[in-house]
Amino acid sequence: MKIRFWGVRGSFAMSGRDFLRYGGNTTSVELLTDAGERLLIDLGTGATELGKQLMAAEFGKGQGKLPILLTHTHLDHIQGLPFFTPFFIKGNEIRILGADPNSGLSLEATLQNQLAPHYSPLNGLENLAAGVSIETVRPPAKISLPGFEVTTMAVPHGSMFTTAYRITADGKTVTYLSDVEYPDLDAPPAEVLALARGADLLIHDAMHADHDYDLRRGWGHSPARAGVVVAERAGAKKLALFHHSPDATDVMIDEVVERTSARTAVPVFAAAEGSYLDV
Amino acid sequence: MQITFWGVRGSYPVPGAATVRYGGQTSCVEARSAKGDCVIVDAGTGMRALGNKLLRESMGPRQYHVLLSHVHWDHIQGLPFFSPAYVPGTKIAIHALLTAADELQQVIGGITRHEFFPMPLEAVPATFDYHQVEPGVEFDLGAFHVTPIALNHPFGSVGYRIDCDGSSWAYVSDTAPFDRVLHKQHFLSGPEPLSDDDKTSLGTMREALVAKLRGVDTVVYDTHFLPDEYARFPHYGHSTPDQALDICAEANVRRLVLYHHAPSHGDEQMDQIAATYLAKGEAAGVEVLTSFEGMTLPIGTADPPERTNPGIGPA
Ligand SMILES: [Zn+2]
Ligand SMILES: [Zn+2]
Ligand SMILES: [Zn+2]
Repeated sequence: MKIRFWGVRGSFAMSGRDFLRYGGNTTSVELLTDAGERLLIDLGTGATELGKQLMAAEFGKGQGKLPILLTHTHLDHIQGLPFFTPFFIKGNEIRILGADPNSGLSLEATLQNQLAPHYSPLNGLENLAAGVSIETVRPPAKISLPGFEVTTMAVPHGSMFTTAYRITADGKTVTYLSDVEYPDLDAPPAEVLALARGADLLIHDAMHADHDYDLRRGWGHSPARAGVVVAERAGAKKLALFHHSPDATDVMIDEVVERTSARTAVPVFAAAEGSYLDV
Repeated sequence: MQITFWGVRGSYPVPGAATVRYGGQTSCVEARSAKGDCVIVDAGTGMRALGNKLLRESMGPRQYHVLLSHVHWDHIQGLPFFSPAYVPGTKIAIHALLTAADELQQVIGGITRHEFFPMPLEAVPATFDYHQVEPGVEFDLGAFHVTPIALNHPFGSVGYRIDCDGSSWAYVSDTAPFDRVLHKQHFLSGPEPLSDDDKTSLGTMREALVAKLRGVDTVVYDTHFLPDEYARFPHYGHSTPDQALDICAEANVRRLVLYHHAPSHGDEQMDQIAATYLAKGEAAGVEVLTSFEGMTLPIGTADPPERTNPGIGPA
């Protein structure tokens, strides 16, 4: 299995020179099996560039199929939806899977609100030319997708929950824990540890530098060391710091990686936009 | 009076190496009077950096006025990231056109619904109040005299002429030209045939725009598309620099500023666009500038634009 980060930024897309190495796009991550099956997690602004590149092959001809897992519907995770070009080609079949937000609205109604006529000229999901299905996931349900086995888990994110994913393909496992804050950093919930158990790659929310965290406790995001605790306890083989703060420049992220690596034997890197990596 | 561009991009923010010089954030312009009054036009993602600057200027609570052209995401997404909104006592007045929605408050508040943003607008310390604008109904905001102008965009949009300190500028974004497509309150999957009434409406809208822009010093205009792109997407609600130049030449505008750049137009292409339309503008008697993030433009003088940082703007 290969992975490519198309967007690694949390909350807000950042342009400019200070954000070129790690990238300024909000979250979107692509997984690719050895046989070529594809899965996308989240539709932040990073999905826009992937969408354009997908048009070169079957998605440009209306023959593409893609499942997309959403962690939740905060804007930084869905703001690329109206600009993901494969949605505009008839014949493509795109499944959007995610939990209903805990606001009383369904996932589908929430995405419809995003495309409401005053907010978006698309004026509703029904105007997307591709076949789009919105499928509600009820964590801790398991999902089978072509090429991928997926376990879901609801994890705390401020006043709401996000869906975390454990994804296995080609005998390798990626665990995606973004937009999460545990009540006690030093004691991550058992189900979180189970989700990350033995993962080849753990992608973890690292919105805050450790020294900033005390000011931001309760906002729904983790400091870098939260991912370290999960990786060590769960025996994950590698840790990707993810969902970087919009205030974190390339140099600041370098420093976080350096400090985090110094405190653990687990190999640590900061997720960056760029090329396909082997899991 | 002077104006500063905090976001110049259309549709969505574009990070990356291709937008380092012109900028990747979406629509937001700040106008300042000579004595320091401030009005903000559009609340795209550029508004985050503007808010941080305003807080550095003054930590205390202030009254802010925000004029919205319309409420497409690229024009409102910066609002929840405007840091002065988190200072208790701050007052934010939002002025906008009522379009497809019943209540302005509901639409603006809707961008921070629980599903979209961690904190609802009601929980933000600043107080918000909402004012409906109507094309043709002028009003004053401190030192600024504001004239709203109807534009041609899906579900409606409004431009603003702003007079202050003996000069004037106008914000004309987002808008399609006034010939092929009339945008109404429904979704267009392509151009629809125009009825005689539609043609009359377009003619009236164009005439009113030219009349309001007459003699304005500087016009900031939605020039999202190059001509070949417009030909493919005439129903998307945006104009080309050529269409903007026609309007500005006819209205005797001194200076046209290209704005709401397409996300796909990288820095090198923007340099070419800037050079091409500078020359076309000279031929038409209009100075044409291309906006970039961080550009400050004095209004009513021939002084050149200032850059907040030497590495940005045209090569
Ligand atoms: Zn997020
Ligand atoms: Zn726009
Ligand atoms: Zn628009």
